[in-house]
Amino acid sequence: MRLPRLFRTTPFRLTLLFLLLFAAAASAFLAYIYIATAGEATSRADAQVLHEMQSLETIYRSDGFSVLNQAVINRTRGERLLLYLLMNKNGQPISGSLTRSPMRDFAGTRDWLSFELIRRDADGSITKRPARGLEETLPGGERLFVGVDVGDAESYAAKILRALWGAGALVILLGLAGGVLVSRNVSRNMSSLTAVIDRARGGDLGVRATVRGTGDEYDELAAGLNDMLDRLERSVGGLRHAGDAIAHDLRSPLTRLRARLEAAVIEVEAGRADAKAALQQALEDADGVLRTFAAVLAIARLEAAVDTPSPNLFDPAALAASVAELYGPLCEDKGLDFKVELAAGLNLKGNPEFVAQALANILDNAVKYTPAGGAIMLRARRRSSGDIELSVTDTGPGIGPGDRARVVERFVRLENSRNEPGVGLGLSLVAAVARAHHGRLELDEGPGAIDQSGPGLRAALVLPMIT
Amino acid sequence: MRLLIVEDDLQASGAMATGLTEAGHDCLCAADGEAGLAAARAEHFDVLIVDRMMPRLDGVGMVESLRKDGDQTPVLFLSALGEITDRVTGLRAGADDYLVKPYALAELAARVEALARRRETGSVQTLLRVGDLEMDLIGRQVRRDGKAIDLQPREFQLLEFLMRHGGQSVTRTMLLEKVWGYHFDPQTNVIDVHISRLRSKIDKGFERAMLQTVRGAGYRLEA
Repeated sequence: MRLPRLFRTTPFRLTLLFLLLFAAAASAFLAYIYIATAGEATSRADAQVLHEMQSLETIYRSDGFSVLNQAVINRTRGERLLLYLLMNKNGQPISGSLTRSPMRDFAGTRDWLSFELIRRDADGSITKRPARGLEETLPGGERLFVGVDVGDAESYAAKILRALWGAGALVILLGLAGGVLVSRNVSRNMSSLTAVIDRARGGDLGVRATVRGTGDEYDELAAGLNDMLDRLERSVGGLRHAGDAIAHDLRSPLTRLRARLEAAVIEVEAGRADAKAALQQALEDADGVLRTFAAVLAIARLEAAVDTPSPNLFDPAALAASVAELYGPLCEDKGLDFKVELAAGLNLKGNPEFVAQALANILDNAVKYTPAGGAIMLRARRRSSGDIELSVTDTGPGIGPGDRARVVERFVRLENSRNEPGVGLGLSLVAAVARAHHGRLELDEGPGAIDQSGPGLRAALVLPMIT
Repeated sequence: MRLLIVEDDLQASGAMATGLTEAGHDCLCAADGEAGLAAARAEHFDVLIVDRMMPRLDGVGMVESLRKDGDQTPVLFLSALGEITDRVTGLRAGADDYLVKPYALAELAARVEALARRRETGSVQTLLRVGDLEMDLIGRQVRRDGKAIDLQPREFQLLEFLMRHGGQSVTRTMLLEKVWGYHFDPQTNVIDVHISRLRSKIDKGFERAMLQTVRGAGYRLEA
């Protein structure tokens, strides 16, 4: 049989455990109190009895039996704090407040006894009270019993004990009730989180836990869960988008390749074309498809990545210098004035390989579109906002304001770039790299129109500073 | 050279074997990691070409086993996984080079030859010599036919790589990877420009051009 859900919760089990520990501690505490109070009462009574016995013995030794007898009679008449019984050698009572010795089989000279004192009151009712006494054989053979009523002390101890038991029971009851209350509270909070997890597991990534704003650990848990779901949703959405994008982006070049091969088969069969040349062409087309695929995949992966892939701390100026070194000779060959301006002491956390590729893509474009005699300026600096800016400014034709948003989309190639090599993925990749670094790609007008050229393009990769 | 191709895609390994045999190599194919491991343990090969993802025993597992045996045969990993982290784990497993699929046959052949050559010249060299071209790696000096040639640091690195692989084809991708450390292909002919500058420095004034362009592959420094 399974326990009801409430009793299976962790807080309830913890409550039980604590109660158990508490009960054990309370028992030990009770035992100590009982021993201390009851024990103390008994030993005080014993000392009183012993003291009385000694003083009576002293009377007996110094003044003899009859004086002792008189003393016992006198004391019996007093406030009857103590109980007395003086007996002859045969144990027959002579004087005292007791009718007979509570000691059944007294042998030897001295013995302690705890007994019950039965008292008949004037109204005939009988009360039993605990008592304790000491019996001794006097040097002359007579026997003397001195006892004391310990009823008050014991009933006091018993009261304490009862009070303690009562308190213990109350504590346990309150503890259980508290445990139930806490468990229900925890269960309620947890079950709302569990419900969110269940729905997310069922595929609904849009679900979010309620953060109540109390700032407690449930809120922390809920916030953490929501953050995780945010990332998961973005990542899954990105992957879905990437899959669609790859399928879409590869369909057209593959269709083109297929069409060309089909045409080639017809041409070769008709003897109008050379089979080897057709194969060579097909190979080049296939390479083109593969290049497109690699670029699309890289973009898709960057877009699907929630965070920068394998980030490192690096100096973007040093990286720009290295890329500039790669492109310098090319610019010179094309008759372009290539200038580099790099600030010192820049730091960037990101993926240097992707940033280098992004910068190379921007430079590829600048070299392709800037006519001979133009200029290209590569700059790495920190903006006043703290962002790192890697920018390339050229004196080429630039991109009109209306086209700037469009060119970062995949496969968008402007009219004047139709004759240049490339598939129209360069700037898309740059934009994807920027986004993966939580930055952006800014496209602006360059230095402006001069003579027949310009207005130029300023492409800036703006990456946020390290936080 | 004797090559072992470990690849579960039999069409791909067949095409590879055809191409590499054409290039003058002797190829043996294994269809999975375990067969590859057994073959590599049984015979001597100059270079192992290992696909990363295979049934039974994958490329990483196979190379790790080999390296644990103390086998230092150069390994070229082939993989569809081209991310930086994938390359790093591949190289960490003991591979010597990493080629991302799809690749051109010329690229594969060039890399295989480069790997085999690296093994031959295992000892530390201070002087490289290809034909009448000499490179002093300590003094950072280059001479052709006794005549000193002044090179920029990057040109020096480029020539060093070409000289270490003298007589072999090296591709543009290899140069970009090994000399510049970049794993992407620029849209422009940046490498060609660097090569032509180097060519003008080492071949100018000499009757015979050493730095040759290999059509469809890349470049070759001829002795």
